[in-house]
Amino acid sequence: MTNHASDLIVTENLRKDYREDDIVVPAVRGVDLVIKEREFTALVGPSGSGKTTLLNIISGLDSPTEGRVWLKGKPISEMKGAELSDFRRDHIGFVFQAYNLIPVLSAEENIEYIMMLQGVPKNERRERVRKILGDVGLQGMGRRMPPKLSGGQQQRVAIARAMVSRPGLILADEPTANLDSETGAALLDIMRELNEKTGMTFLFSTHDRMVMDRADRIITLKDGRVARDEIRAENPIR
Amino acid sequence: MVLRMAFRNVLRQKRRSVLTGLTIFGGFTLAVIFIGWADGSYNNIIDEFTRNRLGHIQIQEKTYFDRPSLYKTVDDPKAVSGVLKGIPEVESWSPRVVSAALAASGDKSAGIQIIGLDPEREAETTRFDRKIVRGRLMAGPGSKEAVIGRGLADILKAGPGDDLALLTQAADGSIAEDLFRITGVLSTGDDMSDRTSVHLNLKDAQNLLVLGDRVHQIVVTVPALGRVPAVARAIDRDLPDPSLRAVPWQDFARSFYEAMQADKAGLWVMLVVIVVIVGVGVLNTVLMSVLERRREYGLLKAVGTKPRHVVRLVLLEVLILSLTAVFVGSLVGLGVNAFLAEHGIKFAEGLTYGGMEFGTMRSELNARSFAIPLVTVLASALLVSLVPALRAGKTDPARTMRLH
Repeated sequence: MTNHASDLIVTENLRKDYREDDIVVPAVRGVDLVIKEREFTALVGPSGSGKTTLLNIISGLDSPTEGRVWLKGKPISEMKGAELSDFRRDHIGFVFQAYNLIPVLSAEENIEYIMMLQGVPKNERRERVRKILGDVGLQGMGRRMPPKLSGGQQQRVAIARAMVSRPGLILADEPTANLDSETGAALLDIMRELNEKTGMTFLFSTHDRMVMDRADRIITLKDGRVARDEIRAENPIR
Repeated sequence: MVLRMAFRNVLRQKRRSVLTGLTIFGGFTLAVIFIGWADGSYNNIIDEFTRNRLGHIQIQEKTYFDRPSLYKTVDDPKAVSGVLKGIPEVESWSPRVVSAALAASGDKSAGIQIIGLDPEREAETTRFDRKIVRGRLMAGPGSKEAVIGRGLADILKAGPGDDLALLTQAADGSIAEDLFRITGVLSTGDDMSDRTSVHLNLKDAQNLLVLGDRVHQIVVTVPALGRVPAVARAIDRDLPDPSLRAVPWQDFARSFYEAMQADKAGLWVMLVVIVVIVGVGVLNTVLMSVLERRREYGLLKAVGTKPRHVVRLVLLEVLILSLTAVFVGSLVGLGVNAFLAEHGIKFAEGLTYGGMEFGTMRSELNARSFAIPLVTVLASALLVSLVPALRAGKTDPARTMRLH
């Protein structure tokens, strides 16, 4: 498969089977995808259609049973250990469905943690944390520990954490699933704004109509296969 | 930030951390007290055995230790004294002559050992004067007075004021015999010695044995047991006569030294027990914690934390817990040791060891009693934590996110 300069994610015949004892459960069955830079894409489909598995494989959290994934032209599905950790840390931000903040770190420490792993100097870390907390509407709440934040606030911290290291790609697994519609809409607006301002690429898995309404492109998965790929707004790069 | 995370994780499960900390604290404190007590007790026994009787170092003719003989002597004790005066770590010394003899009092007789000594020097070196239980020390040279062991007094049915006839061979080959007046009975705490010893004034013994100024041993004491080998080497280096040798107590009382070493082996058994207790306690806690926090480790890895950093985080938590427990344990353990070193434990009926009786046993405050438990406890806690820590490092983020 040929990679174009603007191709951020390329998957080739991606398959993932889960094994439970002797039973093989296919989760992804031969997915070929190209996601270009700056896209704001929603991955939709019923439960069990393979959305989360596909996101996990694209992010390098999981490995495919067959097929390959390139991210920025690098074969992420073939990376292992520290190389994979570093690549993921530097190029991918992940927003999980259930907030997933580190419970013993405050909001600002959760955001700062990834930059610490990247070796960003302390002063710069502090400055970037301060700015991004403002961007996600959490000024003055940096010192709060996760249990002292509402679900929406925690998800904002998770988004800020995913973006602060300035990755090219943000993967979000049902980011609005546990939020009320108002909070969900506000977060989507933040992400949309960041996509437009910074050029970060967003790929969501979702059931949420609000996400679909805001997406430039909707990829529908069914039984682990791409059933439909609808481009709703033209990406200037495409 | 990793250190902060580790601290907060330790504080997160307070009850579990306290229980684990108590296990480590208990193991460490017990080990500190036990080693301090064991060292104190052994050193009490060794000090009793050496300082009160044989001295820490003996200067003898080279072959005297293996084959004692009346003729193997230190020919110029004054020259040796000159050397000893020049070594600052020598506390005191006392020359002795030693010879086998036959003693008789009234119609009783017994095989004995004549020990000729200078009562003043001997009092300074081996506290000879404190061992008199009846009567008094012998007077100066020419007094022909004797102090005998308590056991020998029982055998001969003799005591202060009784006459004692001694018969032996003199260094000139003649038969030496003389009559002495018993002035005192002593108890050294060593039954064997007390059944056979007759102490004479050094000069009287030298005259009896026709030795002139020669002696068989010069008994030396030093302030600290630990310095004995070094001081023995220093004396040995400076001795004026190449036929002489300075022998540390570990050599001239080899069987006693080996018995002490064998007894000390019990210490290692106790340490193994402590390692097992601490190991099981820590392993249990860390394993539980790692299993409960798999999702968290998965998250850390998902955001880019390397496996080795997850391992480091788990070990850091154990280290924080261990160091805290060790710090508190040091205060308690060393405090108890300091108290026992100062006041000791008094035995109402006396404690007998190797024929020696001890009224009070004391602990010892030394670096070893802190360092050995420190290394043992920290190493065992970290070692048993390594398996769960590696397991945490291997957490599969996608799987844990999916399952939890």
